[in-house]
Amino acid sequence: MLISPLVAERVMNPMLEAAIWFWIPLCSVPLGFWLSVSGKSKSLGNLIAALGLILVMVSSWTVPSSDSTAGGHLILFILAPSLLMSYGIYGMIFGGNVPVGRLDSTSRWSGAVAVIVSLAIFCMMHWYSLTPIWRDGTINPYWIVFWPTFLLFSTSLSSAAAVALVTYGDNRLSESLKLACLSITMTGIALSAMVFDGYHTTAEEFRDYLWLSAADIFGTLVGISLAIGAFAIVIWSYEKSLPIPESSNPPTKEEIKHVVSIAMSHIGGEEE
Amino acid sequence: MKQPSSSWKLLILAAVLPILVLVAIDISLDSQSHPESFKRFGNAVITSYVVMGLILVGNLFFYADSRQRPFAPFVGMTVALSIGFAISWALISNDDLLLEANSNLRSQMLSNVVHLLVSGTAMAVASILAIGATFASITGRERRVLFEEE
Repeated sequence: MLISPLVAERVMNPMLEAAIWFWIPLCSVPLGFWLSVSGKSKSLGNLIAALGLILVMVSSWTVPSSDSTAGGHLILFILAPSLLMSYGIYGMIFGGNVPVGRLDSTSRWSGAVAVIVSLAIFCMMHWYSLTPIWRDGTINPYWIVFWPTFLLFSTSLSSAAAVALVTYGDNRLSESLKLACLSITMTGIALSAMVFDGYHTTAEEFRDYLWLSAADIFGTLVGISLAIGAFAIVIWSYEKSLPIPESSNPPTKEEIKHVVSIAMSHIGGEEE
Repeated sequence: MKQPSSSWKLLILAAVLPILVLVAIDISLDSQSHPESFKRFGNAVITSYVVMGLILVGNLFFYADSRQRPFAPFVGMTVALSIGFAISWALISNDDLLLEANSNLRSQMLSNVVHLLVSGTAMAVASILAIGATFASITGRERRVLFEEE
C-alpha cells in the first residue's frame, strides 16, 4: 500500500517540538556541567553543555511557536555585552597588582572602558532602539524582567561589597568608596528608568516590574537557602547515623622500616 | 576588636537597604499596591527550591562516589524534593493563589522555570560586575612597603 506524501507530511506536535528544541537542550546544560565537573568525561560534558546552550539561544528560530523560547532569545541578545563586561573585568583584575598571570598595565584602562561600554549597551537596550525585539515586532517579554533584576542585584551586591571591604579589610576605605560609587551609579540608572520612559517601555511599566524583581530576588534567595538547608539536614543526619570508625592497629616494625626507606629515598643528602 | 556577628548584620543591611530604598521610591511615585508581587515571590521560592534541589541531587552522585554510594542521602533528598513538588502543585493548582498570567498549572510551572532562567542570568551578570569590581579595586592598589631594610 502506498502512503500519500500529503498524509506523511504532518506537522509535528508543538509541545513535542518545544521539548526537542528547547527543554531537552536546557536540561542538557546542567547535565553537561555535571559531567565536566566530575572529571569523568570533561570534554564530552563541555560539548553537551555548549551545544545545549546554543540550541536554547537559537530556539526562537527553531521552535518559534513556543513562548518559552523568549528566554533563550533574551540570553542570545545579552550575550555580547555580558562577554564584553567579563572581558573588561578580567583585564581590570589581572592588569593590577597580582602575583601570577599579570597582564599589561594598559589592560586595566581598556578593561574599564569595556565595562563602561557594556553598561552603555545595556542602557541603550532600554533607552534606544537596541531593545531585544521578539516576534511580530513586539519587545521580548523577559527583557523587562532581566533589566530591573540586574540593576537591583548589582546595586545590592556592590553596596554589600563596599561595606565588606571597610569592615573586614585593613585600610580599604578608598577601594570601598569606589564600590560605593558603582552602587550609586547603578541606583542612578534604576532611578532614571523609573522616571524616564524607555524606547519601547514606559517608566510606569518599569516601576511595576521593579516590584516583581524585588519579589523575585528575595524569593529566589529564600528558595535556594531552603534547598541548601534541606540538603545539609539530609547529609548531617546520614553522617550522624554512621558508626564510629574502628581504630586501626599501630604499624608493625616492618611497615615502619618500609616507610623510613621511602622517606630516605626522597630526602637524600648526608649529615655534616 | 570588631564583633563578627555585628559585621554580618551590617553586611546583610548593606545588601538589603538599596533594594528597599528603590522600592520605597517606587511606592512614593506610584502610591499603589502590587498584589502580583506576592504571587511572584511565592513562585520564585518554590521554583528555586525545586531547581536547586535537583542540582543538589545531581551533586549527591559525586558525594556518593567517595562514600561507597550510600542510598540513604539520595532517598532523603529525593523525599525533600518530592515535598517541594507537591507543595508547588498544591499551591499553583489552587485557583488564584499563585497562578499569574497563565491559563493552567503546566504553563505556569514552565513559565516559572524560564522566569528563573532569566532572573538567574540577571543575577549572575550582576554578580560578575559587583564581585569583579571588588577584586579589580583590591588589585588596583600599589603594593605597600611593609618595612624598610636597615
